[in-house]
Amino acid sequence: MATKGVTLNTNARKIRFARRFISILLKMRKTRSPCSSSSIEDVRKRSQRIKIAAYSSMAHAVGPRRAWSRAVLFKLRSRARHQSMMKRRSFGLQKKRVVVVKNNNDIIPSGQLSQADRLRQLVPGGKAMDMCSLLEETADYISCLATQVKVMQTIADHFSK
Amino acid sequence: MDGHENEDVGFQHGSDGVLHCPSSGMSTNPLPEKVSGMAMSSVSMYKPSNGADPFFSSGWDPLVSLSHSENFGASSMVSHSEFSNPPYPVVMENQGVSSSFHLVQYPSSSTLIEPVPKLPCFGSGSFSEMVNSFGLPDCSQIANSGCPQNYASNKAGGGTGKTSTNTAQSQDDHQISGEGAIGSSPTAKRRKRAPDSNNSPFSPHQNAEGEVQKDLSGESSDVLKEPDEKKPKIEQNTGSNLRGKQTSKQAKDTSSGDGSKDNYIHVRARRGQATNSHSLAERVRREKISERMRLLQELVPGCNKITGKAVMLDEIINYVQSLQQQVEFLSMKLATVNPELNIDMEQILSKDIIHSRAGTGAILGFGPGMSSTHRYPHGIFQGSLPSIPAATPKFPSLPQTMLDNELHNLFQMGFDSCPVDNLGPNAGHLKPEL
Repeated sequence: MATKGVTLNTNARKIRFARRFISILLKMRKTRSPCSSSSIEDVRKRSQRIKIAAYSSMAHAVGPRRAWSRAVLFKLRSRARHQSMMKRRSFGLQKKRVVVVKNNNDIIPSGQLSQADRLRQLVPGGKAMDMCSLLEETADYISCLATQVKVMQTIADHFSK
Repeated sequence: MDGHENEDVGFQHGSDGVLHCPSSGMSTNPLPEKVSGMAMSSVSMYKPSNGADPFFSSGWDPLVSLSHSENFGASSMVSHSEFSNPPYPVVMENQGVSSSFHLVQYPSSSTLIEPVPKLPCFGSGSFSEMVNSFGLPDCSQIANSGCPQNYASNKAGGGTGKTSTNTAQSQDDHQISGEGAIGSSPTAKRRKRAPDSNNSPFSPHQNAEGEVQKDLSGESSDVLKEPDEKKPKIEQNTGSNLRGKQTSKQAKDTSSGDGSKDNYIHVRARRGQATNSHSLAERVRREKISERMRLLQELVPGCNKITGKAVMLDEIINYVQSLQQQVEFLSMKLATVNPELNIDMEQILSKDIIHSRAGTGAILGFGPGMSSTHRYPHGIFQGSLPSIPAATPKFPSLPQTMLDNELHNLFQMGFDSCPVDNLGPNAGHLKPEL
């Protein structure tokens, strides 16, 4: 299905993603505590960090060209900002800044989410998109996720041999 | 909406939809101007410039609401100034053609023929009077039956062919009236494609219409060829000079524009939608969505045979969810794997990533209709986690072996789907373990 141009594009993205992801993994391993025993919580945290690393490196590899990658990058940056602010300021101040977003559209009108809404929840940044661009972003997101899984699989296999 | 979309996909119209609405809009508006016919023909000429979709959609919206198509003609159509003053019979032909589209399509019945002669204005020669006498809702129905009929009777002295077509059209006009507003008539036209195809007597009409619609609206002669041959000849004679220029361009445009077998130009069909600029934008939007859905169909494995937006969306959602679960699963695996710091790792891994197609195989193994199995390894892993605290010292090894087993199972599925040759470096160490 992929024309030559598309394959080249995906290869470039794949390589960029792989490089970033591996460098993050190496960093994580270097900073990992030397103690061999790791509790479940540690494993969970690490896996969470690895997951975030995977998504962020994918978003960086794609760049700001796509709406979903921009949404991911924005989320990451706001998250980082939030965390740094949390460290600096007291929790009391933080509470006032917390913004609660109510998803009134999703569940209240009908008992079940519509397909479009479900897709919007899955694709980052999908909530603000109309159907047409949502489908376009979904296509790109699917291809990126597929490459992400491929690379991670290869890495995991490499480590597990 | 799904039904319409399916029809749209079946029609394979790119920018045609954009053109269809406005021109039909022009025809439905009771424009007393002769320019309306000109506008329709000129619009149809512009139709095939596919790249000009935004142009048309933006250019057309104000036009639809315009009561003076002359403004439209002046502003947007530069090269068609020659059509600004078409002779009356040309306009008549255009109107007749637009309605004759419906004519060709519809089965014959004698019922509607009767009310037609009741309209006094038909007998008169002034086109404007004819148009003005129609209320807007009546336009599509009566004009369909009456205009071409009278035109035919005036010009060709009537023929059995005409009556048959008129009757054919009148039957469907009944259906149209049954459906109600004009807004439904263009959709009715679209809907009727399905029943028309089912009905054998209508099929020749439908084929005729399909072929007819290949020609642009200006070529009324071809349009009416099927039902009646006297009319087209007359129309040809009357509009031959203008037509000549039009037909050549239009023929080119049709062939270049669509490139598909059924070059429907629903320029006239959208009479009812003319007043509603929303439906025009909606049609464009629907076509865009169907195009994107086709792209997604290629991306998501195992969706080649699925037709239908709802099922397709379900598949897409499942696939995205499964991919995200796989990412989570793999991140868990990477978290538990003991780090072996090799500085060359990056190079090795980049080599692996570029050369190995094992991942592809695995993904293919995962993808097609195996969304349920995706949850299986993940669920197993989650099941293994609670059991871990009981055996803390074994923790590093237990989940890893379980994960490895699962991954090997998953890889086996991938192995089945892709040739072993592609696996490269992974093949060596995986085979003996299997």
